[in-house]
Amino acid sequence: MEPIMKVTAQPTDTTLTLILDGELDASSAVVLDTELNKPELLKYKKVLIDCQRLSYISSAGLGVFISHLQRLQDSNVKLVFYNMQEKVFNVFEILGLDSLMTIVPTEQEAQAV
Amino acid sequence: MLKIRRSAWLLVVAAVCWLLLLFSTISQGQPVLGLPANWPRWLVLLAQGSFAASIFMYARLQPDALRGHGFVAVLRLLFWRGLILTAGLVAVWAVERLTAAQSLPLPGNLTLAVGYTINLGLFILLLSLTLYSWRSLVQFRGSGKIRREWLAFELLLGAALLLQLFVWQIPDFLYVGVILGLGLFGVYLSGHQRWIAYLSQGQKLQVIMLQLGVLSFMLLFLVYLRGAQANSALLAPPTQQAFLVLASFFAVFYAVAGLLVSFFNLPIADVYEQRRAEILSLQQLSQIIQRGQTAPEIYQALFTSAVQTIRADAAYLDAQLQPTELVGPTPPPLAHELTLADLNTLRTQLTPLITKEQNELIDNDLSRSQRFTDLSKPYCSAAVLPLRSATHDYGVLVLLKEELGGFDPEDLSILHTFTTQTVLSLENLQLAQEARVSQRAQDELRIAALVQERLIPKHLPTDNWFEISTYAQAAKEVGGDFYDFLHLPGQRLAVLIGDVSGKGVTAAFHTAQMKGIFHALMQPNPLAKKDRDRYPDPHRFMVLANEALTHCLERSSFITASFYLIDYEAGGFSFARAGHCHTLYYHSIKEEVSYFQSEGLGLGILRDASYGRHVKNQFWDYNPGDVMVIYTDGIPEARNGEGDEYGEARLAQMLEQCFYQSAEEINQYIRQDVLEFSKGLPLHDDQTLLVIKFKAAQPQP
Repeated sequence: MEPIMKVTAQPTDTTLTLILDGELDASSAVVLDTELNKPELLKYKKVLIDCQRLSYISSAGLGVFISHLQRLQDSNVKLVFYNMQEKVFNVFEILGLDSLMTIVPTEQEAQAV
Repeated sequence: MLKIRRSAWLLVVAAVCWLLLLFSTISQGQPVLGLPANWPRWLVLLAQGSFAASIFMYARLQPDALRGHGFVAVLRLLFWRGLILTAGLVAVWAVERLTAAQSLPLPGNLTLAVGYTINLGLFILLLSLTLYSWRSLVQFRGSGKIRREWLAFELLLGAALLLQLFVWQIPDFLYVGVILGLGLFGVYLSGHQRWIAYLSQGQKLQVIMLQLGVLSFMLLFLVYLRGAQANSALLAPPTQQAFLVLASFFAVFYAVAGLLVSFFNLPIADVYEQRRAEILSLQQLSQIIQRGQTAPEIYQALFTSAVQTIRADAAYLDAQLQPTELVGPTPPPLAHELTLADLNTLRTQLTPLITKEQNELIDNDLSRSQRFTDLSKPYCSAAVLPLRSATHDYGVLVLLKEELGGFDPEDLSILHTFTTQTVLSLENLQLAQEARVSQRAQDELRIAALVQERLIPKHLPTDNWFEISTYAQAAKEVGGDFYDFLHLPGQRLAVLIGDVSGKGVTAAFHTAQMKGIFHALMQPNPLAKKDRDRYPDPHRFMVLANEALTHCLERSSFITASFYLIDYEAGGFSFARAGHCHTLYYHSIKEEVSYFQSEGLGLGILRDASYGRHVKNQFWDYNPGDVMVIYTDGIPEARNGEGDEYGEARLAQMLEQCFYQSAEEINQYIRQDVLEFSKGLPLHDDQTLLVIKFKAAQPQP
């Protein structure tokens, strides 16, 4: 099956922005995992996740972020989500991830973190 | 029974008629034993005709000689019977000669008459046996037409018998006409020699010898009868000329025709034998497949069949099986009359050929094409056939012959049949193996489902201060949802519900783990000073469970759970939510449905001591009539055909409509609504729904 999600990476000197487009479930989680697994990820100060076009996230999708959370923290890389749809935010919130991860409404705020 | 009786009667009639014939012959010209001399001619003819008719009828009633026997066996039986009858003829003849030489004092032609009658009887017997052996052969694999023609022939023979009985003054032209007509019919019938085609070369030789034997017996009888009738000393009545002539003509002509056909068929018999060998090989090949044997056996069967059938001087078969295939490792190459050096030469020279020439390759003049010239023997013809299906290569078969032009289109077509059959059987074997493996996996999964089924509490806790109703449905065979109850001393009840991330077998493993953790943590602590501290409170339960899971959950997996410790004596419950769906609650005093809003992080996400800060202990005092609906996300995330989710709002609405009913009724009401919402769609995720309704305490019975 074709992954139903597209990941676009936009790097700057200090920041890597990953734009997610589609549904993040067990099959598309692999794509994101490959992206987050890259060693050069740790040289950035911040990894921004643009969730504007992320329409759905499953537990496997959450699992990808959870599994990289510790590694990014240890390397002092900030993980920031922004532009999140309410439905997707609810999933983060119910699981309690909003207390663990930085989720902000807009890109400006994300850059400011 | 009836048939046996009928044939027995025929034998009795035959015996009586033969005796009549005997006496009439003896008393010809002289009175014997007080019987009158010179019997009327019609009586003699009647006796003779009835004897012949009953003997033929008897032979006709015997079972088909071919049934259960081969052609050679039929002829051999006829030969032995003929030999016995001829031995009788010779014995009688010898006695006649002896008595004539001794000139014993016997009345007139007594010896001659007795001998003649016996031999006539034997001859008619031989004729009948021969005729009905021929019947089996004529009708072999014949259509209904040939059966009808044979019946007509029998009827005409019978008519010839009657003709002479009743109209003994037949005009010559009619007599000759009938004989000629029936004779031609016999010639036509003698053309039916289909059976000879089914004989091997050796069998044809045997058949020729046996037919020669039968012919010579008949010839001996004819010589004797002609001699006896010409003997003036014998005063015998005339024989049934037309019938006997026709019957013996047909018997002899059919034998001669068969003999000639067999004789001229001898040189081409090996062609037929080869075809038969091909058919047999093919049958063997398909039998091996049907018995579901191994790949090496199938390759071996193909190789042996091909080499034998094509009569190759040398051959080799390179099997090739993909390592991923389930039929087993590739068997070693098979070789026939080839040295190891030749085999290696062939293999190296063949590899480019096969890829280049897509299909089979026939080269009937190797010296001209300069192919395979380095072999130890000067092979002149080669056939190379890849074993190929639409998707796979199963190897290559190479056959070599020393003669030029060794492989003709016939050979190629039979080899094609062989290779196609082999490829088919190898594919079948693979399919069968795959089916077996997937069957085993399915069986394992079914067992896993059974095991998980057993993990679900079967006996719901019952007491007079609450009602519980449960519903659980996995999206696949096994699921990632779980729940459990535990009655604690005092009027206390521990309730756990949870959902492992992911689905299927991996998730199912963790549900079992979670159940183990639940029961381990809910063991009473003997060191606790206060009764309240004997069991962990919900917050502590979550912290301990999170720690335990750190060691057994892979990094990307997590578990959401809600834990409730209900205390009836206090009329309230404490609970903690670890990332699980919010609890839906009906407040009977406020007459209001709402979700408990609380914070709490899922288990397995933070794997250090900091987790304790992310989960909270909460308390709630309940009133009789309150309803608690606990569920997993499979319920609010159930989807309909348009991809919409059922949602928490609709769930709350449902409870508003049915809170006054019993726990079981509320559960069914909600379940029914979810089912209607996602009508006809397979479950997207595991679903679990627990309903707990608090009641005013009833006095203990």
